Amino acid sequence: MNWQVWLGTAAVGAIAMGCSGGSSSPEGGSATNNAAPADKIYTIGMSQCNRGEPWRVQMDADIKAAAGEHLNLKVIFKDAQNDTLKQRSQIEEFISQKVDAIIVSPKESQPLTEPIAKAYEAGIPVIVLDRAVMGDKFTCFIGADNVKIGRAAGEWLKTTLGGKGTVVELKGLQTSQPGIDRNKGFREGIAGSEINVAFEADMKWLEPEARKEMESALTRLPKIDAVYAHNDPGAHGAYLAAKAAGRDKEMLFVGIDALPHEGVMYVKNGLLASTFQYPTGGKEAIEVVLKVLKGETVEKTITLGSRVFTKDNVDAGGEALP
Amino acid sequence: MKDAFRHGAAARALAALVIVLLLGAIFNADGAFFKLGTHRDALRQASVYGILACGMTLVIISGGIDLAVGSVLALVAVFVSKMTIWWAWSPWISIPTALAAGAACGLASGLLVVYPRLQPFIATLAMMVFARGMAKTLSGGVKVATAVPQPDGSFEFVDVPSVFRGIDSRVLGDNLSVVTIILAACVAVSWWALANTVWGRNLYAVGGNEQAAYVSGISVVRTKLMAYIASGFFAAVAGICQAAQEQQGDPEAGVGYELTAIAIVVIGGTSLMGGQGSLALTVFGMLTIGYLEKMLSLNAVPEAMRLMLTGAIIVIAVMMQRRRQL
Repeated sequence: MNWQVWLGTAAVGAIAMGCSGGSSSPEGGSATNNAAPADKIYTIGMSQCNRGEPWRVQMDADIKAAAGEHLNLKVIFKDAQNDTLKQRSQIEEFISQKVDAIIVSPKESQPLTEPIAKAYEAGIPVIVLDRAVMGDKFTCFIGADNVKIGRAAGEWLKTTLGGKGTVVELKGLQTSQPGIDRNKGFREGIAGSEINVAFEADMKWLEPEARKEMESALTRLPKIDAVYAHNDPGAHGAYLAAKAAGRDKEMLFVGIDALPHEGVMYVKNGLLASTFQYPTGGKEAIEVVLKVLKGETVEKTITLGSRVFTKDNVDAGGEALP
Repeated sequence: MKDAFRHGAAARALAALVIVLLLGAIFNADGAFFKLGTHRDALRQASVYGILACGMTLVIISGGIDLAVGSVLALVAVFVSKMTIWWAWSPWISIPTALAAGAACGLASGLLVVYPRLQPFIATLAMMVFARGMAKTLSGGVKVATAVPQPDGSFEFVDVPSVFRGIDSRVLGDNLSVVTIILAACVAVSWWALANTVWGRNLYAVGGNEQAAYVSGISVVRTKLMAYIASGFFAAVAGICQAAQEQQGDPEAGVGYELTAIAIVVIGGTSLMGGQGSLALTVFGMLTIGYLEKMLSLNAVPEAMRLMLTGAIIVIAVMMQRRRQL
């Protein structure tokens, strides 16, 4: 096979991949309810940047559950499959469809600022979740603060370890903002203590990578007091590595995200010492939509609080962080 | 002629491995590189890639390529997790079913290659996208883990199945991972098939010159089909190993693994043109990539630098192989 053929096939392949998701319009389920005929049914368009991530699947589930409690709300879920341009066209589709409100969890700020502004200018309320867009042409931004959550994790470890110890940090992708912030916050949290981050590696949010890196940390460090991973799958991967080495009892595992079937479950089963919730804001988004539809004014920015789950409070649903 | 090629290529493949091992010995991370555990872990980590590379070698020698292996791995990981964790099936049923599912994916790719005569690149690209979609559909978009969703929306936590624990355990006084033994078995089977069976010889013939193979009476269709079935089967073995090590079936698992598998085969010295190469070369490729990753991880090299170093090593290794064409 010569190079021209390879290039040709590669190009066709790229087109094929582009089409594979491009032609699918309304995806996922829609939370519909049979409302009383007299009620007006409001249609909400929800554009999720990537349903490949469990946390974002949870966000959609939270929105669906919250909307399900109101008979007059119908949500159309769309998945942009991690493609900025696809997400842009979804916003444009919602505008031409004349939905009553848009909820969007953008993949990127810059490229989505303008499409979102267009929807806002067309008189459609837009609630932006998790990642902010630029300017002020949206109704409400709901998000959590990763620096704050990282700091809480650092402070929790400082208290739990008595201010000193050897820690391994397994970082989320260091070219992504949550990864950068969870690192920054953590370092602020442990500042001024004798906690030493003796091994750090970028596990790119992936459990198998976390396990690999943890194996290296275990080989290099004779004693580890705690592992701080930027997400729960990372902490779980580290736990599996330590367990395989027979050293899981030697250290504490701390994760972030606290999804009900993931991190919270790991804490319940004693695998993780603690996990810090990164809330999805799905429920809050529906609350804001309802307020806006009723004509009430809402705050421009809502910062969500986090919760910590430990062995002691997990059955009570965790504890809100200050 | 063939032997001369093999020995020369093997020596060059060995040279690439020796370079990586030397780098490991120099940058030994306070002696960590010399610990037995490091080598056990390096071999464990390379196992999933290595198992994929076994099937990839067979397909590449036949003159094709299989881009679907990473997605098939994910599909099988989800499927086997669903059967063993959520449905609590016996491994005696779930493992063979999972292997059959992988082989069926390979068969589908193979049929697309031999009957509509799609280019292997296109046929397996289609299967790569399709199988990823199946993995996501089957899993419902979530990881199939030990938290089993109940009809009322809550979760019930079940134990990790013993077959997963078995695959993820170690033997010989904690010195050898079971997945490494599975890799060794895959290498042995494909090595034997390639070197000692009629089908193995036919793979070289078909990959070297399909027309000539056809006129000399070789069943090109069957030879190729079996190569893709084997690749799907090995992808299923890798998927089971992946699920066992993660204790879950992740529909996003294995993204990009097909490229690592191809890199392993090519670094070993097997030609992408088909008709040449061997499993021995692939084993050298596996060890080169495996130890390279381990060395970079032990030294906690930042991600950006790792990517550049990996790219550079691939180029150097393949350049060394190209000398035979001069």
